[in-house]
Amino acid sequence: MLANLRSRFRGPRLGTKLALMGLALLAVPWFSYQQLVEMERLLVQGQSQAQLLTAEGISTLFNGRDDLFNDLPLNLEDFEPLYAQPLTGSIRLDAQTEDWGPPEQLQYLEFGSLDGKQDADFQMLLGERADYLYVYMRIRDQSVVYRDPEYLRLDNADHIQLNFIRADGEDGRVSLVFQPSNVVTGFAMDEQWRYAATGVADNRIQGALLPSNEEVLVEFRFPLALLGSRRYFGMTFVDVDDPVARSTTHTTRTLPSAGKESFDLVVLGTPEVRNIVQGLGYSGARILVIDNQARVRAEAGTIQTREPDAQEPSAESRISGLFSNLRPWLHQLVTGEELPSVSAQSPIEQNSVAERVIRDSLNGDPIALRSRISANQEMILAAHPIVSAETVIGTVVVEQDIDNILKFQRTSLEQVLLLSILSLVAVFVALLAFAGRLAWRIRSLRQEASAAIDHYGRLRRAELKSEVNAGDEIGDLSRSVSNMLEKLHQHNTFLESMPRTLRHEINNPLNTLSTSLQNLAEEFPGVDDSKYLASAKRGVNRIGSIVQNLADAANLEESLDAEELEAVDLDSFLRSYVSNCALAHKDTRMIYQGPDKPAIAMIADFRIEQLMDKLVDNAVDFHRKGTAVRVQLDCFPETLQISVSNRGPVMNDQVLKSAFDSMVSHRGPQNRLHFGLGLYVVRVIADHHGGVARAVNLPDGSGVAMLVQLPLAEAESGARLSAIRP
Amino acid sequence: MAKRIAIVEDDPDQRANYADAISKKGYSVSAYGSRVEALSGFDAELPDLVILDIILGEEIDAGFQLCRELLAREPNLPVIFLTERIDEIDKISGLRLGAWDYLPKPITLDYLAERISSLLRINEARDKTGVQRQTNAKNIGNLSLDQDALLVSWKGQRIDLSGTEVRMLAKLVRVPGNAVSYETLMNATMQSLVTNNTINTHMRNIRKKFEKLDSNFACIKSEYGFGYRWSQ
Repeated sequence: MLANLRSRFRGPRLGTKLALMGLALLAVPWFSYQQLVEMERLLVQGQSQAQLLTAEGISTLFNGRDDLFNDLPLNLEDFEPLYAQPLTGSIRLDAQTEDWGPPEQLQYLEFGSLDGKQDADFQMLLGERADYLYVYMRIRDQSVVYRDPEYLRLDNADHIQLNFIRADGEDGRVSLVFQPSNVVTGFAMDEQWRYAATGVADNRIQGALLPSNEEVLVEFRFPLALLGSRRYFGMTFVDVDDPVARSTTHTTRTLPSAGKESFDLVVLGTPEVRNIVQGLGYSGARILVIDNQARVRAEAGTIQTREPDAQEPSAESRISGLFSNLRPWLHQLVTGEELPSVSAQSPIEQNSVAERVIRDSLNGDPIALRSRISANQEMILAAHPIVSAETVIGTVVVEQDIDNILKFQRTSLEQVLLLSILSLVAVFVALLAFAGRLAWRIRSLRQEASAAIDHYGRLRRAELKSEVNAGDEIGDLSRSVSNMLEKLHQHNTFLESMPRTLRHEINNPLNTLSTSLQNLAEEFPGVDDSKYLASAKRGVNRIGSIVQNLADAANLEESLDAEELEAVDLDSFLRSYVSNCALAHKDTRMIYQGPDKPAIAMIADFRIEQLMDKLVDNAVDFHRKGTAVRVQLDCFPETLQISVSNRGPVMNDQVLKSAFDSMVSHRGPQNRLHFGLGLYVVRVIADHHGGVARAVNLPDGSGVAMLVQLPLAEAESGARLSAIRP
Repeated sequence: MAKRIAIVEDDPDQRANYADAISKKGYSVSAYGSRVEALSGFDAELPDLVILDIILGEEIDAGFQLCRELLAREPNLPVIFLTERIDEIDKISGLRLGAWDYLPKPITLDYLAERISSLLRINEARDKTGVQRQTNAKNIGNLSLDQDALLVSWKGQRIDLSGTEVRMLAKLVRVPGNAVSYETLMNATMQSLVTNNTINTHMRNIRKKFEKLDSNFACIKSEYGFGYRWSQ
């Protein structure tokens, strides 16, 4: 069963095999992608190293400079730090927050009651720019009471108290009062916060307010120099609601606890540090100097978060879109691991990366990490600790995006894919063409080779024409087959000439024998009557006829070529043949059945006669005694069929097939004079006339019919018909 | 004086057998083994009749060449070919060597002797410019046949037929209109081993010779499966 299956399955054709082999080319994009991933890793690593080196370089500037960092108390527990964020743009004092940056990034500090819904509760933003401290406050206040110039006291209207330690170390007190013109003015105050210490407003302080629905929005600024280098300060909002009584109803402080003589601490970038760092910033990178309390002390440069381009899709971006869609799938296919999610990391994740970087570097380890900041933007965070006297006093963080690397990677990926597809297509087409050509050559060689031998196994040609000049293996094959055919032809020629040679060689001794016997009889007259002489003569005759028959059969095709074909009416031919035959085979009944109309075929009449002789001899030999041998002629549109049938033993399939082969006799050993040449001669003659000969059993199984089909001559012209011999 | 018969045959045994048989009939025989040998013998003296084997040693056509040379010297010299194949009958006919007769091997020595005497007789008859022998000719329609002189003419024109062909034709026309069987025709060839094909070949050659003179000649008809018939 399995062997049967195997013998039936012969494997794919040449073209399929080559196409399958062409699939090996898929390894090219695979390797390319591997290389690409590796290169990306290398580039990211390189940039990380560069950033680390930058961070290290910057950190060396600060190594040992504790003085730059120790202007802040090391322990913050006593103080409530108020972080002032660095402002990037200039600020208009208009009680609006548009110029403070995007609303969602504003981090308000809240003071007052816990829920922030009571009067005098406020929220506050602190900003720092160009040596000014900017303050923005949203104060809940149902009724704004402006300063009344009628009063000298300043504490009987809504106002903000600012207390700090001045540069000279003394306590500083400044009240910010709301003028009816919605301008905020500052006055230095006495110790009881009632009267201005000087009669003139302090014009270093500028501000504006904007009363809105249950709120007062206040924006003001003052120079950082006012606070001195330590920048301790506190703020109190004093709420006055009754414009008549003008008594203080609420006060809200930024100070940790009322009565405790302590101050808030304004935490700012350290100016000296910032000055140093400022010159080091470069495009696409942000440098942060952070102290060991994780406070940002200086910052330079920015990284812009790009939003995905919303341009109309060009062909290029569509292709790259396609590639970015393909990328995760490809990545998994090639490297076997999931591509990190394309979506931007959440701020928490971003922060955690940043925190880890800062924490690790503050522990004394330089570190570089990769972080995704938007859909198609990633950056590297590198941090290097600042060391002074064996302790870490801060860290330098260098952030830089890896846009260039990603862009390079994307274009490379596109190129790799494009080149792979192109080369695949090109190689595939080339392979296909090659396979087609190869298959065509082999097929034509096969056809020619199989046409060299006909279905009887006879050699039709002694050499091959196609591919013999080809230099490759097919040419070798063709030459070798051609060579084989040539040798076979030589051998065949030898075999074909054999009967003739044999006859020549046998005839002479036979003739010697025959003439010697005759002379012998002449010489000794008594011998003539000897039965031995008679049997010797019979033997000579028999050998002669054997050799003659063999040679005739061997020469048959040659002599057939010399015959001229004539248009003969087969019906009358067979009619007279059968009636003549009946005379020759007196003890056998012969029946002819014809179409009763002329059936013209182009034949050599002697040869067809010879053919009929053989068929009739055969039928007579095998017919059952008492039955008739039947000769029938049937006309078909294109062919004539002569059938000679007899009742008698049927033949098996094997015999039916081989009946017309040379030297095949199924008569058995008692018929020594038959060499199986009779039906072979029939076949050769039928072939020569462009017909076929075959043997069939009669449908009813009562006997055998020999069929010879000859082509019907086309409707001949009258002139041609006149040539028909009656 | 005994007639001189020359035998050219390369096989010494056969040559000896022929020579013995023929000399017993009272002829003077000279036997040759090769073409060159035979030619030098003929240079000395031309025989009255020549028996030629076609293949002599390595020379396949030596018999034909010899025949050509002999007839060039003496056009009326009777020649008997010893042939091996029926296609050689064709060849002899085709070459139109003027050979008088042929015998296929194996040869019956009696027939050979008969042929020799018959050919010598005919040659003699021809030499006598046979005015008075015309009477032996048989006329059937347009055909005139003198079997003794091997002379055949059709509508008054001479047709050059070999001895075998004349004998076959004579059988065919013995009773005009009657079919003559292959067997009868075989006997006429005076050969021991004859097939239908041999008869057919002879008949075709006879027919062709007639058709060469008269393209409308259609007197020899095939009786397929039986033999031939002469009808005018």
